[in-house]
Amino acid sequence: MEELSIIGKSAGRVDTAAKATGEALYTADLSLPRMLTGKVLRSPFAHARIRAIDTSRAERLPGVKAVVTSADSTGEKWGVFRYTQDQAFLPPDKVRFIGEEVAAVAAIDEDTALEALTLIKVDYEELPALFTMEEAMRPGAVLIHDSNPGNINVHVKIDVGSVEKGFSVSYHVREDTFTAPEESYFQAEPYAVAASFDSTGNLEIWMPNAGPHLKAKPLSNCLRMPLNKVRVRKITIGGAFGGRSEISPADVICALLSRKAGLPVRIVYTREENTVATRLAHSMTATIKTGVDREGRVLARDITCHMDGGAYSSTGPIATSVPFLCMEQAYRMENVRYNGYRVFTNKPIRGMFRTHGRAFACGVDLQLDMIGLELGIDPVTMRLRNAREAGDYTPTRSLVPSCAMTETIERAASAARWKEKWGKLPPFHGIGIGCNSVQTGFPMGIRGGSSAFIKFNEDGGATVISGVVDNGQGNENMLVQIAAEELGILPEDIQLINADTEVTPSDPGSYSMCETFVGGNAVRLAAIDAKKKIFKFAARALEANPDDLTARGRKIFVKGEPERSIPFARAIRMALAKGEPVSGEGSYWPKVDSRREWVENPSGQLSETFSFGTTIAEVKIDPETGLVDVLETWASQDVGFALNPKVIEGQFEGGLTMGGQGGMLTEYHLWDGGRLLNPDQAEYRLPLAPDMPKINSIIVESHDPAGPYGAKEAGMSIAMSAAQAYVSAVCNAIGVPIKEYPLTPDKIIAAIEKKSKKA
Amino acid sequence: MRLPSFQYLSPGTVKEALETIAAHKGKVLIVAGGTDIVNRLRQRLVSAPYVMSLKAISELKGIKKNKGELVISAGTTLREVAASPEVSGLFPALSQSASCTAAPPIRNMATIGGNLLQDTRCLFYNQSELVRKAAPACLKQGGRVCAAVKGATRCLSVYQGDLAPALIACNAKAVLKKAGSSRTVQVADIFSNKGKRPLAVEEDELLTRIVIPIPSGPYSCAYEKLRLRKGLDYPFASAAAFLSLSAKGVIDRARVVLGACGPAPVLVEDAAAFLVGRKPGDADGLSAARCALKVCRVVENVALPASYRKKMAVVMAGRAIGEALGQLSGAGA
Amino acid sequence: MVKAEKKKINLRVNGEVHTLLVAPHLTLLEVLREELHLTGAKESCGRGACGTCTVLLDGEPVRSCLLLAAEAEGRQVTTIEGLGRQGALHPIQEAFVAHHAVQCGFCTPGMVLTAKALLDKTPDPTDEEIRLALSGNICRCTGYAKIVEAVKAASDKGK
Repeated sequence: MEELSIIGKSAGRVDTAAKATGEALYTADLSLPRMLTGKVLRSPFAHARIRAIDTSRAERLPGVKAVVTSADSTGEKWGVFRYTQDQAFLPPDKVRFIGEEVAAVAAIDEDTALEALTLIKVDYEELPALFTMEEAMRPGAVLIHDSNPGNINVHVKIDVGSVEKGFSVSYHVREDTFTAPEESYFQAEPYAVAASFDSTGNLEIWMPNAGPHLKAKPLSNCLRMPLNKVRVRKITIGGAFGGRSEISPADVICALLSRKAGLPVRIVYTREENTVATRLAHSMTATIKTGVDREGRVLARDITCHMDGGAYSSTGPIATSVPFLCMEQAYRMENVRYNGYRVFTNKPIRGMFRTHGRAFACGVDLQLDMIGLELGIDPVTMRLRNAREAGDYTPTRSLVPSCAMTETIERAASAARWKEKWGKLPPFHGIGIGCNSVQTGFPMGIRGGSSAFIKFNEDGGATVISGVVDNGQGNENMLVQIAAEELGILPEDIQLINADTEVTPSDPGSYSMCETFVGGNAVRLAAIDAKKKIFKFAARALEANPDDLTARGRKIFVKGEPERSIPFARAIRMALAKGEPVSGEGSYWPKVDSRREWVENPSGQLSETFSFGTTIAEVKIDPETGLVDVLETWASQDVGFALNPKVIEGQFEGGLTMGGQGGMLTEYHLWDGGRLLNPDQAEYRLPLAPDMPKINSIIVESHDPAGPYGAKEAGMSIAMSAAQAYVSAVCNAIGVPIKEYPLTPDKIIAAIEKKSKKA
Repeated sequence: MRLPSFQYLSPGTVKEALETIAAHKGKVLIVAGGTDIVNRLRQRLVSAPYVMSLKAISELKGIKKNKGELVISAGTTLREVAASPEVSGLFPALSQSASCTAAPPIRNMATIGGNLLQDTRCLFYNQSELVRKAAPACLKQGGRVCAAVKGATRCLSVYQGDLAPALIACNAKAVLKKAGSSRTVQVADIFSNKGKRPLAVEEDELLTRIVIPIPSGPYSCAYEKLRLRKGLDYPFASAAAFLSLSAKGVIDRARVVLGACGPAPVLVEDAAAFLVGRKPGDADGLSAARCALKVCRVVENVALPASYRKKMAVVMAGRAIGEALGQLSGAGA
Repeated sequence: MVKAEKKKINLRVNGEVHTLLVAPHLTLLEVLREELHLTGAKESCGRGACGTCTVLLDGEPVRSCLLLAAEAEGRQVTTIEGLGRQGALHPIQEAFVAHHAVQCGFCTPGMVLTAKALLDKTPDPTDEEIRLALSGNICRCTGYAKIVEAVKAASDKGK
């Protein structure tokens, strides 16, 4: 590879100055002329039939400009997959969770809108409600969806090799069950939508999203408008973490209100609404049976997993599969069976979360620790013996083209001085390890690829047009860096138009860790396409062969002869003068198996490549209070190639904080039946600055053959392995496995007491 | 989310304030720092036609050391209390409790009076209308059932203020004024120990200042708080300890007060027996702390289990007592 | 519902005095965002538990979502828009950008203002002092590591 001048450097991001000055506008900051305030009326019942809705008094309140109910919608049921279409926004027939949308108003101000909600009368007929998976699966339980007997939403079944045979030849077999309640995203920005129709019926709509194109199509379906009239606009977004990838009822409701009122409408969710009425993570019970040989190599694994999906399908088939898929990628397992069940309950809807199934991931990893203990093998060695390697096929037949898992284990262990510490630390002082693997993209049919265009100005500047969206992770900067590097100009020469469905071509979105791999590659290819055309003209001017040219720092020159150069802008003008203006076009479609389907056919290439990594945590427990002090952490990830090391470190640090510190020590939801008791930051405890340990980021590069400059992903992975490392470390510190998460101090004290009673 | 509508009043003196709350008795909410009341307004737990601000009343600000007593006006912010050399020099438990309340920006607004007079809390009560309307009204809301404890007939919502245990341990008094009269009570007597109406303060009374007697001989005090994070949170368990020495160097007064274990801060009466009459080095802090178990009325109404919080009441009491003993020994008493 | 009369209040924000007619139940956060279009201060929790609504009141960080607008009369309010001059970033903002302390940016205005208040009082804070000063500001993206680095860099010793 030619020496890089922009890629691989920790240059400042293009978007952060505007955020630091407060100029960056998020959806709730938007102000449109004559804009109305929208508010949603929500069901107080977890399960009830809607007999009638009377909005007449609300409509008559001065200042109210529109009221909508199911009567105003098409009644179409939406679902991520054709076979999971079960949610009608503003349902006509029944509500299925406390907080479900029933009606909405748009008024001149918030006070009026709130008052209008109190004037809407809904006649409900309460139905029996189901709040736990056990209740939901009991024979004779009421059906939440008539189409789903036993309230089973999804059953993912994977069976590879022969687990029975594997167990029969295992030296040691153990089975454990791990559980964890829901956690949730707590993106800093609460959900909001602003919608505005123009006089010809074009819809402009803004909302925090993880894929504008994946918002536009369902909107077009629900509103019965062609895609070209649905413009999901670019807006600054305050985090997603997997919870903003689908169309939301608020999107459709806001558009309906705006259309009816003939004025722009903005709905801003409270924090509670963001928690209850967008998505949560799944609670989960995972029973894992693992058989190993004498050396600790896994010979067979049989896993049964139940996940509480809440009231609707959402991304059910994906969410039910990914916890398993991450672990089948991370560790070799020839004989494996997985039965994953997503169960409906009358609770808020669950989606995909950055830590995909903490009970599952922590269970697989902690069990390796436990087995190791029984065999006299330390946790690091257990990981090394089972680690995925490049060239392997996963049990569900994905080829792993690049993998430096072993290197991440070794480098993390070395940096953490594992050998000096493990087994040698004082009481209540522990060290633990977790390993992850994450996909770069899911099979998404006609929406799985990204395209990009580049146009040039006569002074040598360029505009890159891409569907890629930035949720805060730095995707916009990534595209600018790639384009600048490939074209040989500077980042400040490049304008980026992105995530606007009127202008930008389709892109899969940021929630499946594929923006760099797919979106970045598309931009790179568009730049290469443009460069080819530019070099044709430059070659003429330099009397050289186009293949001998290169570009850097706004100059095009002959390789090895930097004095033989012309300014980049000159080549652009030459093309214009010739009547052949230069533009670039590129598309990247990941090489996945299009026949692979989550439920029907969970076999074949899932993503084109995968990232791998290891996290190690060192902790100290206060045996009197059970409080955990995390002393230091090491996160090592095979990211393929670090396009911007500081940006990647930011993902490591944020992921560890979310998945480890929060996810395993303080984050969990509390319920009273269908009522969520901790929907906001007062009682849902997110990690604070003084809670955090030192985080050592160790970037490992396996140079993926297909990733842009070899890059893969870094956004989701560390959240998972950090969760595992935290559990491993705490259990090591107290000498007892804990299988119920998170590790709140009461559980730690209980485990310590149980152990000392045994002794 | 918008607050409910109200009219705003801003008297300039204590006298004016007392006249106002008398004139609108029962219809006016007082805002000092706002960090408790504004939250409850936003959740529609309370509402009133009038909100009266104390911001313009300079008489309600300031810390003053008089002869034999420390006087803290009720409108003094927690930041000022925590930063005051008089407070930290005379009553470190109070400094500690103020320093660990919530987070710095909240301490910049919250006042000692407001913190003391905060409402009790419960996971089932401190909720939005969406959550509350989805279940029958609970006891604290004026309903007939307890959402936290099936069949309970008394509200056991938790008093989670940090300053009260420290103040009570230090024998502090509160001056309550109403138009035409004034009364001074022990801070401990401000609390009714009833979750439904936790404060024995009338609707037309205003807390104006806290008065803490300064003991003449050697004494020590400490406050310990248990929270899950290193900031922001209300205590899951807390304890304050106060010890004083007689001329002979023997503990003559010991007060151990628990917070966050019932609708009011609780004096652990039996603890004194293991401390009083002994030299600091011979005091049985462990047994004193264990007395916390008897008075700790915790139920499942906050985010961590009651059994854990009960154990932690003992741990916090033990640590507060230990620290107070250590201060005495360190002072060479 | 009590229909209260709007009150005239004078707010001094970023050095400018604004005379506004507002309903008394509006918070400072709402008035800043809706009347003055200063949208840098944000609502992320509505409970005073997250810090995105942080503004400086006479130089001290406060929760503007818990402050009635009328309570801010007679005090100096500084919002994020009040830092920096004529398009040039304030040194703390520069440090945040340079040290990658900004990801989604929603918590950033609150963080920067709280950091400013800290450095104005304590020009050379330790890491621990920085973390404690920021203990009331929640960030979901960064894990705080680079925020602390940025504040350190903007401090006297860091320069």
